[in-house]
Amino acid sequence: MDFSYSPQEEGFRADLRAWLADALPSGWGETVFEPEDEDERAMFRLAWEKKLHAGGWSGINWPVEYGGRGATLVERAIFAEEMARVGAPEGLNIIGHNLAGSTILRHGTEAQKQYFLPRILSSDDVWCQGFSEPNAGSDLASVRTRAERRGDRFIVNGQKIWTSFAQYSQWCFALVRTDPDAPKHKGLSFLLIDMKSPGVSIRPLRQISGECEFNETFFDDVEVPVANIVGDINDGWRIAMTTLAYERGPEDALGRQIRFSQELDKLIGTVAATPRGDAMLIDDPIVRQKLARAVTQVEVMRLNAVRTFSKYLNGDDRGPDASVIKLYWSHAAQNMYEAAMDILGPTAPIAAPDPLSAGGGRFQLSYLQSKAFTIYSGSSEIQRNIIGERMLGLPR
Amino acid sequence: MNFGFNEEQKSLGETVAALLADFPALTGPDPAQARDPAVWRALADLGLFALLVPEAQGGVGLTLVDVALAIEALGAGLAPPIAASTLIATDIIAREGTAAQRETLLPRIATGDVRIALAVMEDGQGYDPAQVRTMMGGNGVTGVKILVPDADIADMILVVARVDDRVGLVMLSRDARGVAIRHHADIDPSSGLCEVTLNGAAVMDGALIGHAGSGDVISRLMDAAAIVYAGMAMGIAARMLDASVDYAKTRVQFGQPIGAFQSIKHRCADMAVAVEAGRSAAYYAFWTAAENDPDRSRAASMAKAYCGEIARDVCNETVQIHGGMGFTWELGLHRFLRRAKVMEHGFGNHVWHYERIMAQTLAARAVVADARAA
Ligand SMILES: Cc1cc2nc3c(=O)[nH]c(=O)nc-3n(C[C@H](O)[C@H](O)[C@H](O)COP(=O)(O)OP(=O)(O)OC[C@H]3O[C@@H](n4cnc5c(N)ncnc54)[C@H](O)[C@@H]3O)c2cc1C
Repeated sequence: MDFSYSPQEEGFRADLRAWLADALPSGWGETVFEPEDEDERAMFRLAWEKKLHAGGWSGINWPVEYGGRGATLVERAIFAEEMARVGAPEGLNIIGHNLAGSTILRHGTEAQKQYFLPRILSSDDVWCQGFSEPNAGSDLASVRTRAERRGDRFIVNGQKIWTSFAQYSQWCFALVRTDPDAPKHKGLSFLLIDMKSPGVSIRPLRQISGECEFNETFFDDVEVPVANIVGDINDGWRIAMTTLAYERGPEDALGRQIRFSQELDKLIGTVAATPRGDAMLIDDPIVRQKLARAVTQVEVMRLNAVRTFSKYLNGDDRGPDASVIKLYWSHAAQNMYEAAMDILGPTAPIAAPDPLSAGGGRFQLSYLQSKAFTIYSGSSEIQRNIIGERMLGLPR
Repeated sequence: MNFGFNEEQKSLGETVAALLADFPALTGPDPAQARDPAVWRALADLGLFALLVPEAQGGVGLTLVDVALAIEALGAGLAPPIAASTLIATDIIAREGTAAQRETLLPRIATGDVRIALAVMEDGQGYDPAQVRTMMGGNGVTGVKILVPDADIADMILVVARVDDRVGLVMLSRDARGVAIRHHADIDPSSGLCEVTLNGAAVMDGALIGHAGSGDVISRLMDAAAIVYAGMAMGIAARMLDASVDYAKTRVQFGQPIGAFQSIKHRCADMAVAVEAGRSAAYYAFWTAAENDPDRSRAASMAKAYCGEIARDVCNETVQIHGGMGFTWELGLHRFLRRAKVMEHGFGNHVWHYERIMAQTLAARAVVADARAA
C-alpha cells in the first residue's frame, strides 16, 4: 500500500496545476460562478470541456491513438483531485466520456473507435443514454423499442424516457429489441443513433428541481446504418452491462466526489461564518457532529473509488464492486445534503436569489437534485439485489 | 500509488486468523473461558510481537500498515486485547522511546516476554486524555485508571499521567509497589477490563516515554490505538457479515432460504457496503500512521468513529437476521456484540472522534486561508 506519488505522477500534477491557473476565469469560485440559467450553464460547461480538450486534459487514461492522453488510472485520480482543489466546473458530455466512450473502447469496432472516440474527447459530439423506457426502468431488459433490419440499415421505432441531456446531444446510444421472439435478455442490441436523423424527436420533462435536464425521446422510423451496432446483433445486453459497470464505477464516483467535497467545504465555510445567538453556528456541538460525519463519508467515497481503482490496476475484473461504490456514494451524498438542510436551521428553506439565503442559496437546489442519486444508474434496490445475489451469493 | 495489500501482508492476516481458529474457546459462548494464556504464547511464537520491533532491536522492522490485516484477524478472532495493546505500545516505544528504552524494552517485546496494557481513562473524565488527573511526582504515580484491558495479565502498564504540567506516558511494572488491580464487572469479561489504582506507584528511571521529544506522544498513542481498534472492529464486522450471509443461505422459512427475502438480502447488501467503506477508512488510516502522514490524526479519527459505528450496526443486524438463535447464549454471536461494544468506547467513541475530525478539518481550512492571504 502506498499513497505517495512517483516523480512522474507529481510532474503530471504540477503540469496540470500550472495549466489550471491560467485556464480558469479569474475570481473563479469566489466572485465568478457558473451561470444560473440552465441552458447557459450547459453551454458554459461545454466550453470548459472544450478548453480542457484543447489543453490536452481530456481522456486522461484513454489511448493516445484515439485522442487520449495515455496516462495511468493513478493520474486519472490525480486529475480528479486537482479539479477538486480548484473547484473546477463540471463537463456537459459526462455520458459521452464515461459511458459511450468506455463502452466503444471496450467493444467497438476499429472504425467506430477511430470515428467516435476523438469526437467524444473534443466534445464535438455530446452523448445521451437511451436505455430506460416508460415500461422498462429497473427491469431494463424489457425494453420494447424495436429495431428491424432492412438491408444495411436498422429501422428504429419506439420511445425512450428520462434521457438526460438529449437536448444538447449529437448522439445517443440505445438498447433496442432486435428479436421480439427471443427470451428478453437475448433479443437486444446496442445501437449508436445520430440525433439529427429524421424521425428523432424529444420532449423535455420537468424534474423535481424545476429544471428540465431529462427528456422523452421518440424514434419514428429512424434509419440507423448497420455499421452503428456495437457488438453482435442480439448481444446488446452484454454490451449494456459494460456501460452500467462504468456508469456505477470508480471513475464516475471520483468525478462526483469532487463536487460533493466542494459543496461540503462550502457548507463548512458558510457554517463557520454564520452567527447563531451569541456564538457562531460552527460552535454548536450537534452541528459539528453532523459535519464531521459528512466529512468522513465524503472522504470514504474517495477512498472507496481509489481502492477499487487499485484492484483494477492489480488485475481484478470489473464486477459487482461497481454497485458497492454506487450504493455508497448515492446514500452518503443524500445524507450530506439532508445534513446541510438540518444544519442551516430556520433559513434552510430560503434559496437563491433571496438575500437571506445561506451559502449562496445553492444547497436547496442540490438537496432537491440529490433525490435522483438513489434512482438513476440503477436504483438502490437494484444495486442491493446485485450485491446480494452476485457478490454474496444469496438466492434469488 | 497503490491502495492494496501485498502478498506478505495478506498472508500474515491469514496466518493469524488460522492460528486463532485453533483456539475455539476464544469465540465460544462463554466469555469467562475465552482468556486462555496459551493464545499469547502461540502469537508470540508466530513472531507477531517482533513485527513492529526495528531490526536493530531484534525485530522485523515492519510498520502498522504491514500488520493491518493481522490486526483485523485479531479482531475477528476475538484475540485477547493485550495482543493489540502490546502492538500499540510497541509502535509508540519504537517511534518515540529513547535509545535506552528501545534497547531495554523492544528486544523483550519481540520475543513475547513483555505484555503491555494501556491505561488512559479515568472515572468522570470522559474520553479525553488531556483531562487525566493521575499525577507523576516525586513519590511516584498516583491516580485511578479505569477500563484497562487485560491489566491483570500484563507485565507492564503504560499510563497516561500528568508530568510537569504536561500530559505524558509513564511505563510501570504491574508488580510495582503501589499498584492495585480490581476487575470491573462488565459486558465483556473476555476483555479483562480492570481498574488500576496507583498509590504512589514506583517508577523506574527512564520510565517516561517520548517526554523529552518534541513529538506529541499522546496524540500518537491515541491515533495508533484508534487505528488498531478500527482495524479490529472491521474484523468483527466482516466476520458477522459472513455469519449473516451463511445463515441467510441455509435457514429456510416459508419454503425458501430467508436470504431470498429482499428485506434480508438487502440488509446483507447494506452490511457488505458498510464493511467495504469501513475498510477503506481503516486501511487508509493504517497507511497514514505507517508514514506519519500529516493527515494521520484526521484519518485515525475517521476510522475509529466510522468503523466503530459500522461494527456496532453489523453486530446488531446479525443478531436480528439469526432470529431466536441470534439471542441464544450457545450460538455466541453475543461475544462479538459485547467485544464490539467495549471497543467502541475504547480510545474515544465516535462522538469524541467526530469532534476531533471537525477540529482537524477547521484547522486545515485555517492553514489554507492563511496561505492564500500570505
Ligand atoms: C435524474 C434522472 C436521470 C436519468 N437519466 C437517464 C438517462 O439519461 N438515460 C436512461 O436511460 N435513463 C435515465 N434515468 C432513468 C433511470 O435509470 C430509471 O429511473 C431507473 O432505472 C428506475 O426505473 P423507473 O424509473 O422505471 O422505476 P421503477 O423501475 O418503476 O422502480 C420504482 C421503484 O420500485 C423499485 N423496484 C423496481 N424493481 C425492483 C425489484 N426487483 N426489487 C425491489 N425494488 C424494485 C425501485 O427501486 C424503485 O424504488 C434517469 C433517471 C433520473 C431520476
